[in-house]
Amino acid sequence: MRWVACAALLLVAVALTSCRFIATADVPALANAAAGHGPAPFDPDQSVASIWGPKVIPYFEKKAGLFPQVRELAAKSPGEAGAKFGYRAKSEGTPWTLMVKIDGIVVAANTESRAATIDVDVSGQGKADAVVQIGPAIRGTAIRDALDFVSFNDFTNQIDFAQFGKAFNTHVYHETLEKLARESLIGRKVSVLGAYPFVSTADKPLVTPVDITIGPKP
Amino acid sequence: MKVRYALAGAMLASATMIGGSAYAADLIAVITPSHDNPFFKAEAEGAEAKAKQLGYDVISLVHDDDANKQSELIDTAIARGAKAIILDNAGADATVAAVKKAKEAGIPSFLIDREINASGIALAQIVSNNYQGAQLGGQEFVKLMGEKGNFVELVGKESDTNAGIRSKGYHDVIDEYPDMKIVSRQSANWDQQQAFQKMESILQANPNIKGVISGNDTMAMGAEAALKAAGRSDIIVVGFDGSNDVRDSIEQGGIKATVLQPAYREAQLAVEQADAYVKTKTAPKSEKQLMDCLLITPSNAAKLETFELKP
Repeated sequence: MRWVACAALLLVAVALTSCRFIATADVPALANAAAGHGPAPFDPDQSVASIWGPKVIPYFEKKAGLFPQVRELAAKSPGEAGAKFGYRAKSEGTPWTLMVKIDGIVVAANTESRAATIDVDVSGQGKADAVVQIGPAIRGTAIRDALDFVSFNDFTNQIDFAQFGKAFNTHVYHETLEKLARESLIGRKVSVLGAYPFVSTADKPLVTPVDITIGPKP
Repeated sequence: MKVRYALAGAMLASATMIGGSAYAADLIAVITPSHDNPFFKAEAEGAEAKAKQLGYDVISLVHDDDANKQSELIDTAIARGAKAIILDNAGADATVAAVKKAKEAGIPSFLIDREINASGIALAQIVSNNYQGAQLGGQEFVKLMGEKGNFVELVGKESDTNAGIRSKGYHDVIDEYPDMKIVSRQSANWDQQQAFQKMESILQANPNIKGVISGNDTMAMGAEAALKAAGRSDIIVVGFDGSNDVRDSIEQGGIKATVLQPAYREAQLAVEQADAYVKTKTAPKSEKQLMDCLLITPSNAAKLETFELKP
């Protein structure tokens, strides 16, 4: 179905002089293919790749708040913080996923584990305020869960929905995280655009990046 | 087949008030797998309690994971004029036709625990976030195993999407550790007795195992019993569900961890949504609804009671 749609769009695109295939792909259409309504089998990696640049990154850039601001509001009123900086599916027992921009200094790095993380000090007190996942093993589905244009209703079952969630993690790893230095990280400047599920103020945010830059030591 | 009738006191009172005319409360049918598994018993009881509280009559039926029997029970619910069906179904594909049949008869279905491979037929599909839960269980299992060693996986019934999704959640975590080696992966169909027998034979063929990760608690109980009988209490067992049996085992140092599904609440929520639909024709905002799971370890097991974590 996807390819038929693309072919049709290509024809239109000829008339319009510019064709951006990726911008036309939308999740429900892809999920239709997944549900067996079209010839194309569900390809979560391809689905994620097609929306990453045109939809996911701009969405994060628009919705994310500065980390200290988000954390402060979430402590006071998770609902307000969620409405302003996050998203959650409308069902009971689902936490808000909050989107943040983090600027700080790496104060610790756990790169021994395959689920590698860095601890980031944002407030300048020398202590970790957030933990950022740098992979290759990335826990959870925070990127998928932050997106208001992705719904479980559009997927055949939990398995497809889970594969879609994991595909975001794989994508960000290959896009960005894989290229990061893994040594002498401590003391370096770091900027992260990412998301974390807000469970309680007692838990340190575990942030999954969609973009990350690790700079020199200040 | 168990059939229970209940007439709420309040309804009797109101029937009296309208002058003794023939009057019965609206009926809700609750259909689940066998109550031999405490998980299904808890959700059936959760649904019944909520329905009675809201003034409904309830029939509670079990399909024993037999799709033909389930189809007959749906016919029963239709024939009895049920206003809604609360269903934990007997197969993601096989159930589609049965739910469609109810829909065509004008009876909405509210699914709990297990999905079907179709949208727009049931009004609600309220399921545990099995992938999230399995990742929690998988992470704890890896930690308990010290990130290395031979292990066994017991998988649930293949026709149930939950068997596949939990296995995927486990593997998406465990397979990241190259020193974790799976030596046997078998289905025990969610069943305690089958798990006991499978575990006995797996252990004979693979005495050199360090852990067992199970797709549900009843299979974990079966495996744990077989390991205990063989004098292998050193082997780590992790389950999934959060049953009181496994809670007790965790507290006694047997099974090491499980993942709690909010089953009781899910069932009650389904009845609340059915009630809203019966009374005001308001369908749930979203058909497919996920509820997050919680890891249960010795540190919080004491708070667990009938698939709910007490504050």
